[in-house]
Amino acid sequence: MTTYSTTLSVNGIPYSLAFDASRNLLSVIRNEVGLTGTKEGCDDCECGACMVLLDGHPVNSCSYLAAQATGKEITTVEGLSSGDELHPIQRQLLDAGGVQCGFCTPGMIMSTDALLRRTPEPTDEDIRIGLSGNLCRCTGYAKIMEAVKATAVELSGS
Amino acid sequence: MTTLEDQASAPPRFVRADGPAKVTGSGRYVADLSLTGMLFAKFRYSGVAHARIRKIDVTAAKAIPGVFAVLTAGDVPDVRYSPVIPDRTLFAKDVVRFEGEILAAVAANSPAVAQAAVDAIVFEYDELPIVADLEAAMADDSPLVHEDWASYAVTGDTPRDRNVATFSSLSKGDVDAGMAEAHTIVKSRYVADGSHAAPIEPRGVLAQWEGDKVTIWTSSQVPFDARNGVCETLQLPSNRVRIIVPHLGGGFGGKCGFHFEAHIAALARATKRPVKLVFSREEEFLVPDRRRESMIIDLTTGLRADGSIVARRGWIAVENGAYTADAAFFAQLAAMHVAGPYKIDNVHIDSHLVYTNHQPSGSVRAPTAPQGCWACESHTDELAAAIGMDPVEFRKKNGIHTGATGVVGQVYDEIGLQQCIDAAVEQIDHAAALGEDEAIGLAVGWWPSFPGPSGAYVRLDSDGAGQIVTGAQECGTGAVMTLRQLAADQLGMDPEDFEIIYQDTAVAPYDTGATGSQTLLNNGRAVVDAAEQIAEQLRQHAADHMEAAVADIVLADGHAHVAGSPSKNVSIAELAEIAGGGELLIGKGSGKPPDYPEIPGMNCVGDQGVAAWAAPQFSCHAVKVRLDRDTGVVRVLDVACAHDSGTIINPIAAYGQVEGGVLMGIGQALTEGTHYGEDGKQRNGGLLEYKLQTFADAPRITTKFIQIPTADAGPRGAKGLAEAPNVPTAAAISNAIAKLVGRPVRQLPMTAERVWNALQEETP
Repeated sequence: MTTYSTTLSVNGIPYSLAFDASRNLLSVIRNEVGLTGTKEGCDDCECGACMVLLDGHPVNSCSYLAAQATGKEITTVEGLSSGDELHPIQRQLLDAGGVQCGFCTPGMIMSTDALLRRTPEPTDEDIRIGLSGNLCRCTGYAKIMEAVKATAVELSGS
Repeated sequence: MTTLEDQASAPPRFVRADGPAKVTGSGRYVADLSLTGMLFAKFRYSGVAHARIRKIDVTAAKAIPGVFAVLTAGDVPDVRYSPVIPDRTLFAKDVVRFEGEILAAVAANSPAVAQAAVDAIVFEYDELPIVADLEAAMADDSPLVHEDWASYAVTGDTPRDRNVATFSSLSKGDVDAGMAEAHTIVKSRYVADGSHAAPIEPRGVLAQWEGDKVTIWTSSQVPFDARNGVCETLQLPSNRVRIIVPHLGGGFGGKCGFHFEAHIAALARATKRPVKLVFSREEEFLVPDRRRESMIIDLTTGLRADGSIVARRGWIAVENGAYTADAAFFAQLAAMHVAGPYKIDNVHIDSHLVYTNHQPSGSVRAPTAPQGCWACESHTDELAAAIGMDPVEFRKKNGIHTGATGVVGQVYDEIGLQQCIDAAVEQIDHAAALGEDEAIGLAVGWWPSFPGPSGAYVRLDSDGAGQIVTGAQECGTGAVMTLRQLAADQLGMDPEDFEIIYQDTAVAPYDTGATGSQTLLNNGRAVVDAAEQIAEQLRQHAADHMEAAVADIVLADGHAHVAGSPSKNVSIAELAEIAGGGELLIGKGSGKPPDYPEIPGMNCVGDQGVAAWAAPQFSCHAVKVRLDRDTGVVRVLDVACAHDSGTIINPIAAYGQVEGGVLMGIGQALTEGTHYGEDGKQRNGGLLEYKLQTFADAPRITTKFIQIPTADAGPRGAKGLAEAPNVPTAAAISNAIAKLVGRPVRQLPMTAERVWNALQEETP
């Protein structure tokens, strides 16, 4: 057991933390930082429920050492909306009916955010591939597809 | 009959009440909850499929610093439980019967210490022969899974014999005479592997005692069932056990029933601390007594020269696994799906629920139906081919319709099976022309509605804000969210005017939970009843206020007005304020559940009550697939769905149920199957090895609802919908594959390997 002391920046706020060097980022975000919007579905990089952004890149936080996130900006679902205003992805998912049980939703939102930053005007195939690391058991993905396309249109203004 | 698209005024699309919490990450699931002083639980499992216990020694585990309790069978009341066939105990006693059986439960001050204690438990045992094969298990010389099977306190009409946990038959007419009359007889065998519900949220339980009362937060689809299980096993009265379900991360039946709430409550009582359990993904696969049952289905059907079915004989083995969770009715339900939604005068089906040393089976989304439908409908295409008839024409000819008599003698009121077939065919024909190695397959399915007791309160407070307090459970389907719409419509208000208090057994009246697609059917009626009581009060207040007759008061657009004079009105908020100073606006609803229909001429042995179907739902799915002949990989390109689930009240939720059910059905058709080793243990208990369908796999899905306001059903003639879309997809895919391969692939899932092997078979 080696305790590692560092400062992690989560949603723009610095946190001074000390944790065992073997800890994954997901457990530190949920337990030390105290943000539980990021979910654990498999601890094996298979479901995508734990997706967060590191400097804008999507990462399965269950399989990423927390210590490695030092110096990077970590964004979780709690950091996406500003004030009471929902982010367009969040609003479009609700309008389209792309949320059912909601457990995959935070990870799906973070992957979508990364996808749309990378590819502002995605094709259907871009969306299918870009979100294929996020499992959803409820929706059949159709309403999520609808929401992502609507978000892309809204954000790109086209 | 109208389709949703035809309706002049489609019901409104509205954002679900729990939506903002779910998209912002502020919604709490069980794993997100923490209490001061909380300990962490872990279980020690048998790790062996069948063995006699020699010793379970927890001395070393208890001695580890930070370990607060280690409980085994001797630490809880000696109770055997389960509906119909009480054959389970909380902790293993004498014999372990599957690899995920719980030997001991640990509570410690960290998950790591709890795991160290689990590892320190000494388990010594003598291995017993493993019962794994369904047919071998039924042989007279098979080892027994439960040596004491005859001593269990079984209820109902439940014939049993050794490893056959229940036997059920459906029998009508004279099958021998029918077969003698047949022009063509087709015989088929189909074998389906077990599979999993696989919700994305692994389950969690958190328990805390205060005095002699316990509060349990749990990821359950059925909070009252969970409460009753705790009461039964820990011998507590129901008013001392409070079950709260925070947001639930999916269930699909896997979180029905009573699971681990009592283990954690017992740990919390022993340690005088809150205790939390959160499952790993592997535990979610291996441990719950809820997975979809494997099945063997033999079918023989006789046809007349005109293509009508004259007789059907069936033999079914359904895997129960090591213990009976809620599967006692599965044998009979499987027989209904193998018989199918057809007009057949002579039917005999023998169906067996069989013990093995595998994980127990339990209600996963439409239990027995996808497998039974897959066998029945693959067989149906074989029948059509045998007499050279088009499969659609064959189904139209033999399928039941309004006024027809079905396999169990039930005469159906207005139903939409025939329209479903037409609508699915029409939609799939609109898909692009078939390419090379592409084919279309089609299947029909059916599923019952389950009338049951259910209650709700509705109230309007003095500011006009509404609350629905319901025993119903939201597992993602949106059924509970739809209750706002029902209450609002009854009161002439907006759904947004209502908040929902739900998933708490201490505050709301009983409901069966998110099981059997029953929420809207039963709790919907309760909410309408409760809201109507308030509507009566509002009309009285409005009549007094406006000096009009009560009968002339109309509630609409947030106001009460006098019929014919919309300008003469008063706002409901104002009426609520008046009521707030006197007799409060409180409604309570329950209401008598719809009756079950008669089934004349039916002889059931082992009747578990699932042959007569109230408000049956019908469906037809047509799929277009593409086959890679070099690899056996099948890709589903298009799925066209048509459903008769009665009146559709919340379209956005309804489409979501169909699309999600289809994807689950595709998984079951092609990739989702449990592999067992010779040691009786699962070989693919992880999401890498057990493949769910991904975004990239999803086909185009179109859906049409055949809306028949159904008598003796839910509000406005609504039936259930959550399970029905999971029924016919795998069958439709099977029929498309059979066209490309030249024969059915007789094992489910129809994996690339199995399809490739079928391609190598010589055409006879």
